[in-house]
Amino acid sequence: MAEQLYNAIFVGSIYALFAVGFALVFSVLDILNLAHPVVFMLGAFVALFFMSTFGLPAALAAVAAFAVTGMFGIFLDRVAFAPLRRRGAPPLSAMISSLGFAIVVIRLMELRYGPDLVSYPAGSLPQTVLQIGDARLDGLRLLIIGLAIVLMVGLTYVVRATQLGRDIRALAENPRAARLLGVDVDRAIAATFFISSGLGGVAGALLGFAYNAIYPQMGTPYELKAFTVMVVGGMGSLPGAVLGAYILGIGEIAALVFLPAELAELRDALAFGLLFLVLVIRPRGLLGHRVADRA
Amino acid sequence: MRTRLSAVTAVIAVLLTACGGTPSTQPSASTGPKADIKVGLAISLTGAANIYGPSQQNGAKLAMDQINAAGGVDGAKIALVVEDDASARDQGITVFRKLINEDKVAAILGPTLSGVAAGAHPVAQQAGLPVIAISNTGVGIVGKCDYGACDWIFRASLGEETALPAALKAAKDKLNLKKVVLMFESDQKFAADGADIFKKAAADNGITIARTIPYKTADVDFSAFVTQAKGESPDAILASGLAGTASKVLVEVGKQFPQGLRVVGSNGFNSPAVITAAGAAAPNMIVGTAWNKASTDKTNADFVKAFKDKYGSDPDQFATQAYTAMVVLADAMKRSGNASDKAALKKALEGTKDLATPLGAFSFTPEHDVKQPVFVMTVKDGQFVPFN
Repeated sequence: MAEQLYNAIFVGSIYALFAVGFALVFSVLDILNLAHPVVFMLGAFVALFFMSTFGLPAALAAVAAFAVTGMFGIFLDRVAFAPLRRRGAPPLSAMISSLGFAIVVIRLMELRYGPDLVSYPAGSLPQTVLQIGDARLDGLRLLIIGLAIVLMVGLTYVVRATQLGRDIRALAENPRAARLLGVDVDRAIAATFFISSGLGGVAGALLGFAYNAIYPQMGTPYELKAFTVMVVGGMGSLPGAVLGAYILGIGEIAALVFLPAELAELRDALAFGLLFLVLVIRPRGLLGHRVADRA
Repeated sequence: MRTRLSAVTAVIAVLLTACGGTPSTQPSASTGPKADIKVGLAISLTGAANIYGPSQQNGAKLAMDQINAAGGVDGAKIALVVEDDASARDQGITVFRKLINEDKVAAILGPTLSGVAAGAHPVAQQAGLPVIAISNTGVGIVGKCDYGACDWIFRASLGEETALPAALKAAKDKLNLKKVVLMFESDQKFAADGADIFKKAAADNGITIARTIPYKTADVDFSAFVTQAKGESPDAILASGLAGTASKVLVEVGKQFPQGLRVVGSNGFNSPAVITAAGAAAPNMIVGTAWNKASTDKTNADFVKAFKDKYGSDPDQFATQAYTAMVVLADAMKRSGNASDKAALKKALEGTKDLATPLGAFSFTPEHDVKQPVFVMTVKDGQFVPFN
């Protein structure tokens, strides 16, 4: 049972890292960035690139993944969102534009790396197993869980307690007013995309490390889960996204453990049933506020 | 809030419908002299199965080049017309129609996925055109088909119905399996069929399945499933899934069973990429395959060498089966006397018997399914090696 709880926390941490970036862009700019799964995938490949080309250790490669995917996020904004924002296009256009961008990038990655599973260089990932009683806990996962928590705490600090965070929150509240108040809106948008994509990229690299198998379409399955997490937690609420992620992770595994074998097929139905229930009963989610509302 | 929620709903709708990928059309193979015999190759170059299409294309092209270099079919050259089925059923139907009505091909190889085949094969069946399935290993491709008669359809790819029981039997004979856990990718029809085949084979061999654990393609983490399996203290795990999840199952088994636990896998495990991804855990795998790359049989060794010379990399099973199907087709065309006579070609295909191919002696059963040796393999030093 302890092992399963550990597993659930690991899954929740990966969902959380993925979903906070997603939620951040949504809360600040009111757009659903459908290229977020691509950023997740790129993070895994950027880490691979640094490890196989420059022989960087996995830890540094994860940092590189954060930086490069963060920059990519800014690029993504300039290409897929900024032109639409300038002409005041509806959020749906931005969504479609990011989806198109995502497909292009996935195809490019498939041309470069092939669509098949790709692995990290042999021996480049730490392989420690912690034996606690009967439970065997994978050391790498413990690291990943710890890192995810540190990153999320860091994000909360940045958003709540720094000048940049105040700018971002002002932007989320009202871009026009923020600009009038002297907030450098373009910088705040760039920072939002940098942080959002950087976190997504790190999540991808970490999951890549955990399974040592990455491929250009690896981000796609997470999209629906990230929606679930975001809706359950509260659209655009960062703590909500984290809470939603752990609820989904723990819920999925609890369903696996406690459902009788004949009903095991219902596991996903439960997860998405939760999404449905929240949409119907409590549409603003568990912690439904935007970043700005918590100022 | 209203707009946000409707936006989310819209996104989910888009995601659910847009996962087919972008269809694109591959330029047709060169059309040489008039007497060319056109053969359609409908494969997944894009979409979910785009891992396999390029291999298949390479295998079929190599066979075409060799056949043409050796004088073709009674002097007529074979010209491949390659079409991308985009891993999507509708696109598969469209390209089958195009190949039949516009290109007027003599036969079609493909499509890549069983699910696409279930849509596209009836088109050829109705038109009375021979088809050889080159990678469909699911049930209902030949023999008894869901859509009715399918007597124009042949299959050159070893089905799970043959491969899985062979692997399980070999594992049982050597390891004395009594109690196992079955894991399978329940949202893939192919993998779910594999699970049913495993269930039947386990019953036939007197093996108890202590627990069945379904998982989904989109599942992020497999530790929980394997922990669940561990609770049953099984002698082995039976696993039916595609390559993407196969390596995850193996990686987790490697972590949670440090003393090793055998995983009898479905066809999805039969991939060099799975071996690399599974790393130290790969030797746990046992899989029934259609092909042994290392087989020293001359036909196979020559093929592997020719492939490597042409493309600079080793062939995989998908390339080998596509190559084999092309060889089988050309052989039947030669025997039929008139490659454009479809009924004669069908009859000649039915007469294929013990043809030397890289897969071993190749025949078609009366149900048009492949009859060939099954190679039960495991992994050693990062390579597939015979299990026994």
